[in-house]
Amino acid sequence: MEFLIGFEGKDFVFLASDTSAARSIVMFKQDQDKMTPLGKNTMMAMCGEAGDVAQFSEYIQKNLQLYKIRNGYELSTKGMMNFTRKQLAEALRKNPYHVHTLMAGCDSTDGCSLYYLDYLSSSVKVPFAAHGYGAYFVLSLLDRWHKPDLTKDEAMILLKKCMAELKKRFIVTLPAMMVRIVDKNGIHTMPPLLEKDYVTMDTVQDGEPDRSIVRPLIL
Amino acid sequence: MSRRYDSRTTIFSPEGRLYQVEYAMEAIGHAGTCLGILANDGIVLAAEKRNVHKLLDDVFLSDKIYTLDDNIACSVAGITSDANVLVADLRRIAQRFKLSYQESIPVEQLVTNLCDIKQAYTQFGGLRPFGISVLYMGWDKHYGFQLYMSDPSGNYGGWKGTCIGNNSQAAISMLKQEYKEDETNLNDALKLAIKVLSKTLDTTKLTSERVEMATLTRQDDRTVITILNSATLTKLCNEYEEEKARLEAEKKAKEKATPSKAKK
Amino acid sequence: MAGGAADCSFWERVLAKHCRVYELRNKERISVAAASKLLANMVYGYKGMGLSMGTMICGWDKRGPGLYYVDSDGQRLDGNMFAVGSGATYAYGVLDAGYSYDLPIERALALGQQAIYHATHRDAYSGGNVNLYHMKETGWEHIGWTDVLKLHYQYKNEKK
Repeated sequence: MEFLIGFEGKDFVFLASDTSAARSIVMFKQDQDKMTPLGKNTMMAMCGEAGDVAQFSEYIQKNLQLYKIRNGYELSTKGMMNFTRKQLAEALRKNPYHVHTLMAGCDSTDGCSLYYLDYLSSSVKVPFAAHGYGAYFVLSLLDRWHKPDLTKDEAMILLKKCMAELKKRFIVTLPAMMVRIVDKNGIHTMPPLLEKDYVTMDTVQDGEPDRSIVRPLIL
Repeated sequence: MSRRYDSRTTIFSPEGRLYQVEYAMEAIGHAGTCLGILANDGIVLAAEKRNVHKLLDDVFLSDKIYTLDDNIACSVAGITSDANVLVADLRRIAQRFKLSYQESIPVEQLVTNLCDIKQAYTQFGGLRPFGISVLYMGWDKHYGFQLYMSDPSGNYGGWKGTCIGNNSQAAISMLKQEYKEDETNLNDALKLAIKVLSKTLDTTKLTSERVEMATLTRQDDRTVITILNSATLTKLCNEYEEEKARLEAEKKAKEKATPSKAKK
Repeated sequence: MAGGAADCSFWERVLAKHCRVYELRNKERISVAAASKLLANMVYGYKGMGLSMGTMICGWDKRGPGLYYVDSDGQRLDGNMFAVGSGATYAYGVLDAGYSYDLPIERALALGQQAIYHATHRDAYSGGNVNLYHMKETGWEHIGWTDVLKLHYQYKNEKK
């Protein structure tokens, strides 16, 4: 039950991903990093089928690195996105990778941009996006609250709003979110967002059980 | 002595030469002259047209300068049929890049890509090399305006002004003399191109039928490639002739003013 | 290793071969990270063809102790503690209750053994003997090969 979310701000792009690594019903890890750097000012977050994610993201990353070594400069975010999309599309009818991607980058020429890419290689440039079941809960929130001139602080508040909603309505818990911001200066890793950072008034606080649900059982 | 080696491209002669490659370069020396000049605000390509038969129907084809992509054009000296093959390759390379990245190919990448093909023909398979040198002009966001030249061996380099084809060495030294670094604008470059070309070609008067020219500039964040029409070319040629006549007249006037010197 | 017996024993030997060749070529033992990635890449090539494996690869290299989880989906994770196989959920229950990163070795060995015992007890597809290894800087040491029946009565007595 993985979850990726990202949005564009004024002069940056914000990406967050859950940190779980699981197989069938077993949770192996709660500190998995699902983001990959692609260049000085570009990164992607990827989730999906186990194995495919690691293989495909590394393939893309290394090929973009090779491009930089060959030519002495990096591809633009748009170029990286279309390369990734094409690789995924070409694999789709042969040995498909079941992966979902968000790509964020800040170019000197094109400015900051966020791209959405699903496992069928449909790619689109968007102001905000989310992958996974979590998307069904938070996209409406992003429709309601996202604005193009978002500051970094406002972006963090928006993420917390989304996470609070997921905690309230989504059956799966997401104990920690990895948060990164990319701007013209590079990729910045933020402290992970934990549940305690966004518990709201109506959710139960640690060590203080909600008495209102305790009622005597009387025939 | 060389006959054992010059029939093969892939074998060095005892002096360490690849005869077929050298012969290819020789072939280019007989081809129509092409020259390119880099300016601050654009690039000029100029080419000599050899096919000026009056029965030739040239409506269909501008035969010396080719647009390769939105941002790159080239001009070719050498065997025309070889050129057609390589230009098709160049256009394919540019489109393949665009298919992968949805962006125009950076100029040097296109040049290196083609040079890899040219190089392969100096090494593999008992085929002859392409008898073609190419001048490329282009713009990309990495290095701005760029002028490149590539030869049959697969060598290439970036230039501020250079020339290929018939009499190219003379043209290059003339360019070296007259080119003003960092002070040349597109207009100066056009004038210089006409001047160098008219002196390189063995004709008394340069006419618009003998020459083909194109410019590459940036307008409103877009690259614009313009193949000059014959009216513009005629105007440039006439301007040059007038300038030449004016200078001649001035020179004569000077000689009259100081007759003693002239007599000497 | 857990899963298909043939897959496990075969790929273990293939991996061992690759590691040995690496050692001969580089005059240096392969790292845990590299060895585990080798296995992950190999089995990834057979993804969807019916391989069934869950493995842990542990060792000691320049980076110190290393532990990786690799399965037949091609998933590869590093971590401090893993359990794999059909009994993994039962083993995790015991491990999580008793684990901490700075556990003394004796306690760690005992915890591991007990976790496996409880897994064999509850899981219909696990059983037999518990193998215990200790990976040290100098190499591995085989600690024990214990029948779960013996452990059963041992733990039963300890409970009294």
